[in-house]
Amino acid sequence: MQVVQTVFQADEVSRVFEPARGTIEKLTDRLTGKRPAIVQAVDRVSLSVAQGETLGIVGESGCGKSTLARMITGILPVSGGTRRFRNEDYDSFLARRRDALKVQMVFQDPMSSLNGRLKVGEIIGEGAVVHGIVPRSRMREHAAKMLERVGLAADSIDRYPHQFSGGQRQRIGIARALAVEPELLVCDEAVAALDVSVQAQIINLLMDIRQESGLSMIFISHDLGLIRHLCDRVAVMYLGRVVELAKTSELFANPVHPYTQMLLAGMPRISTERRTFMPIKGEIPSPLNPPSGCHFHPRCDRATDHCRISRPDLREKVPGHLHACLNA
Amino acid sequence: MNRAAFAEFAGRFAESWVAVASLVVTVLFLACALFAPWLSPTNPYDLARLQLIDALKPMGSPQVKPGEEIRANFALTQGQLIPEANATDFEVEACGANCFIVGLADSSAPLMSLQLRGLARDAIVDGASKHPIQPWWTLNAPENNQGKVSFETAPADARVEAIARTDNQPTGFIFQLGSDAFGRDMLSAILYGIRISVFVGVAAAGSAMLFGTGLGLLAAWRGGATDAMIMRAVDFTLSFPAILVGLAILAILGSGVEKVILAVVLVQWCYYARTARSLALSELNKEYIEAARGMRLPAWRIMLRHVLPNCLPQIIVLFTLNIASAISLESSLSFLGVGLPLTQPSLGMLIANGYEYIFSQKYWISFGPGIVLLIMIVAMNLLGDRLRDLNNPRFES
Ligand SMILES: Nc1ncnc2c1ncn2[C@@H]1O[C@H](COP(=O)(O)OP(=O)(O)O)[C@@H](O)[C@H]1O
Ligand code: SF4
Ligand SMILES: [Mg+2]
Repeated sequence: MQVVQTVFQADEVSRVFEPARGTIEKLTDRLTGKRPAIVQAVDRVSLSVAQGETLGIVGESGCGKSTLARMITGILPVSGGTRRFRNEDYDSFLARRRDALKVQMVFQDPMSSLNGRLKVGEIIGEGAVVHGIVPRSRMREHAAKMLERVGLAADSIDRYPHQFSGGQRQRIGIARALAVEPELLVCDEAVAALDVSVQAQIINLLMDIRQESGLSMIFISHDLGLIRHLCDRVAVMYLGRVVELAKTSELFANPVHPYTQMLLAGMPRISTERRTFMPIKGEIPSPLNPPSGCHFHPRCDRATDHCRISRPDLREKVPGHLHACLNA
Repeated sequence: MNRAAFAEFAGRFAESWVAVASLVVTVLFLACALFAPWLSPTNPYDLARLQLIDALKPMGSPQVKPGEEIRANFALTQGQLIPEANATDFEVEACGANCFIVGLADSSAPLMSLQLRGLARDAIVDGASKHPIQPWWTLNAPENNQGKVSFETAPADARVEAIARTDNQPTGFIFQLGSDAFGRDMLSAILYGIRISVFVGVAAAGSAMLFGTGLGLLAAWRGGATDAMIMRAVDFTLSFPAILVGLAILAILGSGVEKVILAVVLVQWCYYARTARSLALSELNKEYIEAARGMRLPAWRIMLRHVLPNCLPQIIVLFTLNIASAISLESSLSFLGVGLPLTQPSLGMLIANGYEYIFSQKYWISFGPGIVLLIMIVAMNLLGDRLRDLNNPRFES
């Protein structure tokens, strides 16, 4: 196995959301001894991305993919755990604002992810100008270059986002990320909101960019077909936890975790069909009140009493193939 | 906003004729405010122009110039009436022994009166009335601007003074909206009053907008204790009626433009703070803000360049509505005598000035400014309402 440099590494990162409480509510909570309901959106997740690698993250809606993506890009702070960028502590990395641009994100919603009040040229060029990557006088030129790189006309810089289609807007979002020369690109369901035909174009664009620049990528999706097509390794998430992490070929060939197995069983064979999750038996439990022990036990047909009590940690089945199931 | 979006917005705005009318009226008022010195027929605050004779004239009265006095002296010597140096306008004609005809050389403008002073007591002045004590003879509206003086016997030498009084002359200027107790043209006073009211209203509402929006954005951005403090201050402010806050401030600080502005800011900032905060909070949840965070933009830049422009349309709507209420608050305070100083007579003060005359049927002093204030505030409110409706997502196609 050849030694490759790790670009990004997360160690047991967690994120809890507390409902916003006013002063009065906080006081009454304290007096009555009630604890406000918290959401453990991401629960002790560890993963890493190597130079030039594409890591896939797959999971149902609400399992914490976007929260994880925002922690990876430094948009959200972590509630626990550590992040490292090229082996540097993430907080000191983020403090060097210009260097912190090396991790960029492409967002899910092509509508709300672009500021409708700014012209496209400004949207793309602002970060580079603010951080002195290009002087303000060359912002338009820089933005035009980025637009061409993502397959849009250079004269789009003077138009507003609402004058573009969803696919074009997603290209603008990609151009914005590329404009600050990132080394790690996190794509959070970047094509989920688009038509299937447009999805393919955007996927091809991302693959081209990856090939040209040797960018590392984290590709988040609930679409197993896309993940299989794009990623070198895949992490499967369930209710805030990573339940299986392996090379793509290995994961699709030998899924170990019962949840992964059910996902793959629900995946249509014919790739022309729209590839989304087939309903898995049982409800998705509420993240406000997750099941004890292994979160998956209410839906798992291999569940034992042990599963209801203890939390399964990630363990290696074969080298490089991690899973979190007590009975696998 | 780009051109196409603006055209669409304008089209939807024009669907309501009330809105168009109120826009026209508002623009007219703004024009009055800007161009009052050029539009108004007189400068109502030029004290030199004021004359008591014009006071309390009803609408449509002509302005008059008070009559002038021409004084001249004559020497009566040896039965002869000899004009002195200042009597160039006068003419003396003899009409037999001990008889003179004295008068103004120019008889084209009829005199109101001609008075002769200093004649001996036995003088006979035709058609004149004599002062009961003084040796003064007065001719009212003398024919040909002349008077005939005769004596039974040769008069003793004396010094005679003639005083010709011309009639009040219309100047051609009409008090279209009447005049006030100082003889000021109400039309001019109203135009200047609009100017003062609009300027103070816009300045006050604008200051409130800057201050309140700033605090609202700060609350949204900082959250936590800052947010809680600012929002409790908003609740606190909202629990007092505006006029009470205004009266209290001005009672403490005294009157003055900047104090009225301060009072309006203290009354209105909370609306902007509340609106800006809630708009900013909803904007802060959108992905483009996360994108800006991912670009590691400084917080002030995210707030001012990304959040604020997206909140601005609704804040501007609030601003148009609040200009009207700032104007009415200022007018109320000025009406009560605590608002603007006397040197800045706004519409409210004009109304107050006429208030004491209303019961003596001199309604026009308060009436004109009152109607104008009413129309202005209604128009601005209708305009603001329409803008608010258009901004409401429910109305969007
Ligand atoms: N800002 C937030 N405040 C409170 N809860 C949140 C917030 N963001 C996400 N969550 C909760 O965290 C969980 C994970 O959300 P998310 O990361 O968006 O999932 P995914 O992207 O996989 O659909 C959800 O239950 C969601 O309700
Ligand atoms: S730990 Fe138990 S419940 Fe969880 S997946 Fe494995 S078998 Fe099923
Ligand atoms: Mg998501």
